[in-house]
Amino acid sequence: MAAPLSAAKALPLLAYARISILCTTSGNRALHLTPGCCKNQAARIRVGKGDRPLTYEQAYHPHDIAHYKGWLSQHTSNLQGEEGAAERTVEDVFIRRFIFGTFHGCQANELVIKRRGNMLIVCALMLQKLPPQKFYFLIGYSESLLSHFYKCPVKLEIQTLQDKAVYKYL
Amino acid sequence: MAARSGKALVSLGRLNGCGLGLHTSLSRATYATALTTTTTGNKVFPERGNRGGFARKPRRPPGDPRTEKMAVDQDWSAVYPAAAAFRPGSVPLPVRMGYPVNRGVPPEKRGNLELIKIPNFLHLTPAAIKKHCKALKPFCTEWPTALDSNAKCDEFFPIKVKTTDYVSASNSIRNPAARIVNLQVKLSSLNLDDHAQKKILKLVGDRYCKDTDTLTLTTDSCPLRKQNYDYAMYLLTVVYHESWKTEAWEADITRADMDEYIWEDSPSQKNILDTLVRMKAAAEGEEEAMEEEVLGRPEVQEYKDSVSRLKNEGENESSLLQYREAVKKVLQL
Repeated sequence: MAAPLSAAKALPLLAYARISILCTTSGNRALHLTPGCCKNQAARIRVGKGDRPLTYEQAYHPHDIAHYKGWLSQHTSNLQGEEGAAERTVEDVFIRRFIFGTFHGCQANELVIKRRGNMLIVCALMLQKLPPQKFYFLIGYSESLLSHFYKCPVKLEIQTLQDKAVYKYL
Repeated sequence: MAARSGKALVSLGRLNGCGLGLHTSLSRATYATALTTTTTGNKVFPERGNRGGFARKPRRPPGDPRTEKMAVDQDWSAVYPAAAAFRPGSVPLPVRMGYPVNRGVPPEKRGNLELIKIPNFLHLTPAAIKKHCKALKPFCTEWPTALDSNAKCDEFFPIKVKTTDYVSASNSIRNPAARIVNLQVKLSSLNLDDHAQKKILKLVGDRYCKDTDTLTLTTDSCPLRKQNYDYAMYLLTVVYHESWKTEAWEADITRADMDEYIWEDSPSQKNILDTLVRMKAAAEGEEEAMEEEVLGRPEVQEYKDSVSRLKNEGENESSLLQYREAVKKVLQL
């Protein structure tokens, strides 16, 4: 009976003590703010020393799409009155990551994804880092896995290059 | 365990090498490079990282692109039999695409992603289309010779049903908008008498277009196209049969509800009869109500026509002129 009462009385005393300690320590801990720097940094490689090779795709920034560049992914879901745009976008993102990982280090440029009716066609430019047999295996593996995943025929059209097509150096 | 498994795999490799009979001396080595992870004890086979050694097959130089070996009169539909992305090694054209670098030219076709991005019609040359038509011809049937004009088509097939199928770039063929059925029929092709014509217009309301004399029924309330089609045909049948029926309460129609102005028993008739009878009475002094005789006069008939025309058609120059002439004649001005 007596013990809990004293405990209840003691707690608020302690709390007040803590607060007073905080207020009396030296140094003001306020929040520091700097003005925001509203820079666009999407898909942009900034000018450097001049030794970095860029492909045409990397050289032009996103605001140049429809001016100097085309679209990497084409489907009809973005037209007026059509549905499924979000699903197609998610599919595209997955396919890009999947191919990047499956053909690791071999990708020369971005993937181009086309949809022709039901079919998904992935056009890729690859470097000749792997022997052809391995390429064929990976192509078959990707096609069958993605077809089963997306329940539609997926075709991979791969072209190989000796080295990346350089547009300019930044 | 590892040694045993290694031996088993090595024996497989040997068998395969004998079977191929091609480069038997190297076949052991090619399989060995895959095996060294398991057969750590065997030092006969070379190490894995030895790229420059005899064990590794020398890398074949990349061959010439197909464009170098193409004949001028080749069959192009064999190069591009179906829609495909642009392949610089298969298209013997010096195409360039892209914005040129400063003091440069547009990038060449090799490794050019822009050429791959755009849709191409390399698979649809005129020669290829001729082949397609030739292949499709056996499946086509002749147009019936009796239907050689639009009028004849309308005469034999007055009901026109429109449905739309939708294709989209997704893995689903379902589209809820595909269930909509549009049925169009010209009322002139239906057998309707005067009463039926007026009644069907009242029943159908907005769905009738006066300019083209077309009744349009659009059904989308059912989930399936077949159901919507059946419902549209049912609606047409019901509306047609209902318009021929005359209900008992249709006789209770009041003057205000009628579509057309009917001169008989109208205030206009009463007024003109009154006027003419009084004129006659004033002139001749007879007060006989010879209404039929008055009505039978041609001027009165003309007046009736002009008033009906004014009320039904509205006021325009010709109808007002006609009314003026009729009034002048009736009142003998």
